[in-house]
Amino acid sequence: MMRELGALTRRELLRIARNPQAIVTSLLLPILYLVLFGQAFNLNNITKLSPYPIPPTVFLQLYRGAPSYFSYFAAGMTGFVAVTATLFVGANVIFDRLFGTLKRTSASPATPTVIFGARLIAGSVQPICLAFLVLGLSLLLGHVGLSGLDVTASVSALGAVEIVAAIVILSVMFASLFIAIGFSLEQPQTYFAIVNAINLPVLLTSAALYPWGILPAWLKSVASYNPITLAVNVLRENLFAGASAYYPYSAGVYLLGLFGWALAMFILAVLLARRALAPRH
Amino acid sequence: MVESIHVEGLSKTYNGTVKAVDNISFAVNQGEAFGFLGPNGAGKTTTVSVLTAQLAPTAGRATVDGIDVFQNPMEIKRRIGLVFQESTADSDLTGRENLELAAALFGVPRAEVRARVDSLLERMQIGDAADRLARTYSGGMRRRLELAVGIIHSPRVLFLDEPTLGLDPQGRAGFWRYVQELRKDHGMTVFVTTHYLDEADQICERLAIIDHGHLVATGSPSELKDRLGGDIVTIRTARVDPAVEAALKAVPGVASVSLQEDAYRVKAPRGEQLIPALVQACTQAGVALTSVSLKRPSLDEVFLEFTGREYREDGVTATDRAVRIGQVSQAFGRSRR
Ligand SMILES: Nc1ncnc2c1ncn2[C@@H]1O[C@H](COP(=O)(O)OP(=O)(O)O)[C@@H](O)[C@H]1O
Ligand SMILES: [Mg+2]
Repeated sequence: MMRELGALTRRELLRIARNPQAIVTSLLLPILYLVLFGQAFNLNNITKLSPYPIPPTVFLQLYRGAPSYFSYFAAGMTGFVAVTATLFVGANVIFDRLFGTLKRTSASPATPTVIFGARLIAGSVQPICLAFLVLGLSLLLGHVGLSGLDVTASVSALGAVEIVAAIVILSVMFASLFIAIGFSLEQPQTYFAIVNAINLPVLLTSAALYPWGILPAWLKSVASYNPITLAVNVLRENLFAGASAYYPYSAGVYLLGLFGWALAMFILAVLLARRALAPRH
Repeated sequence: MVESIHVEGLSKTYNGTVKAVDNISFAVNQGEAFGFLGPNGAGKTTTVSVLTAQLAPTAGRATVDGIDVFQNPMEIKRRIGLVFQESTADSDLTGRENLELAAALFGVPRAEVRARVDSLLERMQIGDAADRLARTYSGGMRRRLELAVGIIHSPRVLFLDEPTLGLDPQGRAGFWRYVQELRKDHGMTVFVTTHYLDEADQICERLAIIDHGHLVATGSPSELKDRLGGDIVTIRTARVDPAVEAALKAVPGVASVSLQEDAYRVKAPRGEQLIPALVQACTQAGVALTSVSLKRPSLDEVFLEFTGREYREDGVTATDRAVRIGQVSQAFGRSRR
């Protein structure tokens, strides 16, 4: 079983490596968001328009302890990018079906769980890398005269582990969902329709991009349970000094919540994939 | 004889409406090459998909290599080799990587992978292109790669779904030469669906003809041809005379005579032995002969006989088709049945 898993994972990774244009395209969205959107929405600049000095606590409440909108946003983008990148991982399943390669794999003695698992392992690599790239790029932007990510807390080893875990779990969770949907559908159009109907609502009910302090109460309560919010909370609590005061729970609790989501999603995805890979009816 | 494939009352209805395969039964002996012939949409791919545990049947039973296909699909997948009608090779992998992946999936012992991959690449004549991405392969190379992938694990039973579609005659000949070698070396059973009747005639020990999901005939190529009622002797004379037709019909052993396009077509089980008597009959009727030819029934006619339709084909060259239609119309100037 491990041999099949290894061989199929290797195949997926080779394919990713051999399609550099796909990697370049996937970089475009995060870069545009960081270099344009994040710069434009830097709400701290409102002080330039205000005739009165705005007390710093206003901004701290707005960004839940983050030093600037960009810093707050950079953590959110990390989660957003991880999720968005998983869309393409699922789409690759559809293309493999169209090109016939999936047929060969599912006719082999590899079990559906192994076929799914290999895709999930290889398919999580890109979202995870992209998420870390966003973090790195955000840090960098602060050093070239643009708004950048200011890490104001001293991140402990545990904090770093929590951050990595949040990114990995979030990526795996959505990769498993979209891969399973990819296995279950035949047409790219249907796939993208369904996946957009999931992706955008999930993103827009999360606290990834919105300044928390001015969210309507109902949206706050919806967003609190959103998996992207949970992941992003882990990042924000760890990256910004004093942020914990603005969060009802510690990062560990959010991580646990995220893990619960991911586990449920993973089980659902395995069931879906197994059904899709069983002999057709 | 040991049965390699046993199918009983197999049916497959898609979406509750499309009866693709309707209650078919047949058996294939071990080591045999069994041809499954039929026009497009006859149900060939559906049958292959069911027998290779990819598609659940609506009814019926099937065993392959002694294993129940529907009870134990994983074991079936391990034992069989499968070459799909369409291309399934991974374009982003090299030929060698495609084979190595298949070797891992089908559990080829690690120590043997290298040697087997090398020898298959060599035999399939893709050795020079082994380390090129499969997307750069020509149609023929891709087909050969598909075959190599399908047999990397030396399967006991090999399913080939129109494996030579789109290959030139040379490519087809090479492909079959290799399959025949494998059969000799491993005693492998081959179940092949094909569009090419001549191919089935040459390769297969036994054939089944499927049409609209029904098996319309089973037997060896020569048995099937025999059932047609014999050879066709075509006689051209200097002028057309009703007396000639009557004289030909009177020759003992003649099954039927018809006049088409100014030629008499005589159907007889032992055509070649009858020629002297037929010539004599014409002479006695006072008509000079211009030509006599003998045609043995081919599978084209078999197909026509059992389905009532001419064998339709896609993917053959225009000349190929013209020749085939020429043969058929020559032998059966009017539609049968
Ligand atoms: N997935 C499917 N859903 C519905 N009908 C199908 C499906 N696959 C094949 N068919 C129909 O079943 C019949 C047999 O198809 P197939 O087995 O592919 O024929 P062949 O391989 O002999 O050309 C055809 O009428 C085809 O349209
Ligand atoms: Mg077919």
